Amino acid sequence: MGETYQEGAGADFDLSQFYQIFFEEAGENLDQMEHMLLDLDLEKADDEELNGIFRCAHSIKGGAATFGFSDVAELTHQMESLLDRLRRHELQPIPQMVDVLLESADASRSLLARHQAGAQDAPPSTAHLVKRISELAAGMVPAHEAPVEPPKPQDPPAPAPAPVIQSAPTVASAPAGAAGARHLQIRIGPLERMEQADAIKELFRDIPGLGTIADLPSDAAATRIFSVETSSTDSDLLDLFAFHVAKEQVQISASSAGAAVDASSGIPAQNGDIEGATGPADEAYGFFKNAPGSPGGVQALQAIEPVSAVTRIVPKAAAEAKAGSQAQMESTTIRVAVNKVDQLINLVGELVITQAMLAQNSLGLDSAEHQQLLAGLADLDRNTRDLQESVMSIRMIPMSIVFSRFPRMLRDLANKLGKKVDLVTLGEATELDKGLVEKITDPLTHLVRNSGDHGIELPAERLAKGKPEHGTITLSASHQGGSIVIEVKDDGKGLSREKILSKARERGMDVSDQMSDADVWQLIFAPGFSTAEVVTDVSGRGVGMDVVKRNIAALNGTVEIDSSEGFGTKVSVRLPLTLAIMDGMSVGVDEEVYILPLSSVVESFQVNPDDVNTVAQGSQLVKVRDEYMPVIALERIFQVPRLDPQKSSTIMVVVEADGNRVALLVDELLGQHQVVVKNLESNYRKVPNVSGATILGDGRVALILDIGGLVRRARH
Amino acid sequence: MSVIGKAAEIASSGAREYLTFRLDQEEYGIDILKVQEIRGYEPPTRIAHAPEFIKGVVNLRGTIIPIVDMRLKFNCSQAEYNSFTVVIILNLRNRVVGIVVDSVSDVMELAADNIKAAPDIESVIDNECILGLGSVGERMLILLDIEKLMSSVDMGLVAAGGD
Repeated sequence: MGETYQEGAGADFDLSQFYQIFFEEAGENLDQMEHMLLDLDLEKADDEELNGIFRCAHSIKGGAATFGFSDVAELTHQMESLLDRLRRHELQPIPQMVDVLLESADASRSLLARHQAGAQDAPPSTAHLVKRISELAAGMVPAHEAPVEPPKPQDPPAPAPAPVIQSAPTVASAPAGAAGARHLQIRIGPLERMEQADAIKELFRDIPGLGTIADLPSDAAATRIFSVETSSTDSDLLDLFAFHVAKEQVQISASSAGAAVDASSGIPAQNGDIEGATGPADEAYGFFKNAPGSPGGVQALQAIEPVSAVTRIVPKAAAEAKAGSQAQMESTTIRVAVNKVDQLINLVGELVITQAMLAQNSLGLDSAEHQQLLAGLADLDRNTRDLQESVMSIRMIPMSIVFSRFPRMLRDLANKLGKKVDLVTLGEATELDKGLVEKITDPLTHLVRNSGDHGIELPAERLAKGKPEHGTITLSASHQGGSIVIEVKDDGKGLSREKILSKARERGMDVSDQMSDADVWQLIFAPGFSTAEVVTDVSGRGVGMDVVKRNIAALNGTVEIDSSEGFGTKVSVRLPLTLAIMDGMSVGVDEEVYILPLSSVVESFQVNPDDVNTVAQGSQLVKVRDEYMPVIALERIFQVPRLDPQKSSTIMVVVEADGNRVALLVDELLGQHQVVVKNLESNYRKVPNVSGATILGDGRVALILDIGGLVRRARH
Repeated sequence: MSVIGKAAEIASSGAREYLTFRLDQEEYGIDILKVQEIRGYEPPTRIAHAPEFIKGVVNLRGTIIPIVDMRLKFNCSQAEYNSFTVVIILNLRNRVVGIVVDSVSDVMELAADNIKAAPDIESVIDNECILGLGSVGERMLILLDIEKLMSSVDMGLVAAGGD
């Protein structure tokens, strides 16, 4: 049981199978960060929001470092530094910071996309972003606000549209009312309310074939100017507009074509504004067709040269933009809401029950007479089984998926810190709900990293303390009672009560020396709390425990810390068993069925009355191979009414929890099967000695015994 | 216009619809909006140490829900389980609970004028849980605040002091 590696021997661990998970998570984190950045109110930034943004950056950094994507880790480390100062209120957020963080998020995204595509060429440089972030983090406000030399392709030449303007008058001078599109400039005003003009825009949207309309910057107050392309006559337009504005308020004049718009409005197609550049270019070709043999033909011909020069650049710019920030990450999986899967599982459960019922009812049928029906039912049987299996498998994945991320991470960590660490994993086969696995991975990563970074001492230090040179980190998962318990245990230096208390005082938290150890340990879950002397890129910013607590609380779980200074720390994460599959053993007591978790069952045997001794207050002990253990009669603790007085409990099932054993007295063993654990508390309440319930093949509910609770009770 | 007028009248008079059911000789009404569905009775799985009127839990399309026999809770003279026994599945504040009654009668609309305050008398039902007495012709309905009734501690559906 368990996997150990030493001297980096087992280092050839293939991490690539987890890349996909990381890319998806990082993508989600980036999305979330972007969202929160955009929502951020700079005037009074909320601590929660800043912490949230920080956590996103931190998670990406952690993952990127684990997988060895140093460029992403470096960039996000810088972002994190800036965000860290923001959330500590050492800096006041300014728009430039949001800009640079958003750009950095885009850059991270494209870097990730490159890694995902397995690109080998030199990565796009992020040095300028790193520099800008560190400047901002140092409290410097860049003097020039304008877009700071982003690594964009060389700008398309600004004067490009100019030649088009020359060709334009030939079109604009075409007789009004002629078939074909006309370019008009419509000035509306003075208006009482600017919204009145919006109705005009809606006209163009609502009436098919009327043409297109676009806003132009207005030079006077209470006046709107639109650029319109239409084939309708002026009087038609005026009639249409009359519904919304008076005729006197409308001035229609022939526009000097769409291209002139860009030039006149003072927004030359700079900054690699691809749309701006292609727009006029396309239109230029359009004019050319519409005005054959017009006097402007020659000029237009001349115009082709520069215009086509623009179009040549455009695809290149577009291509680079695509390879850069716009790159989309591919996904080979579909993410589905957990409740949809739940619903699916419930429906399949119903289907299985209905199928079982049909099978039961068809037993009495004559097989010759109903051959087809019976064949159909047999098919139904097989298909429902397959379906149930597939649906169940959607959710359940073994803990090994999570655990196997860690050996490599710890190895790199140990190398970086000059420590020697062994990793032992236990209970990898424990199956866990996929939703839980996804959410538990990040917290566990933090916990393991914390253990490696803060817990385990340097080899020399360990030897001096009389400990083995190699530190050990133990990861274990098990089902306990109604919960899944995941433990991260190290034999390092443990938590220092004094250090935590003094740090807490430093931060102005309300603490006292009389606090219990458990309360003191809970302090490290406060956001930003860290007792590490040096903030490294591994950990020490104190963000880890905050994230851990938050993520686990979101799963209705709890985190407990047990530590003794000098001997190590154990962090136990206890998660409720909302929907987990368990191997169960069903036992019968009279007419009732109870489920025992198979993992707790040790053995079963026919009881021999001579081996049972009654001791004080009627409690009984049974001797099993020289060991005495308490007997628990299910009939008694569950007050099972005896319908059939002939029946009696004659079989003992030995179960074990927390290292203690008890013998359960039951009537019969019914079988072993996988059961879906259902929560009793969602509609009812906690029942003593019961950890949950499940639905049997016939649709009845059976209770699952809480072995841990039973054993504790019997042993007291 | 008449439909709208009627709707407005109902809204102003505070008329609501009630599902009525029978327990022994009495007729009770509960807010129809709290009712999820009505099913036949199927034997539930017994829960040890639960009060007698909690018959146990059943599987309702994958969800485990408790079944409360109102006849036992209200000390009715007899509580038989046969093919006519019905369970009203209630949806109360995201909890689903089934109650067993003698029979379900119909759905009735009651305006506020038709509801009178219940007299303050000792009964098995806490007065807090009775909205009032509704009268429809000759019939008298005991209108229950089913949500309050089911969440009261002595129903044993929620852990004492909790929830």
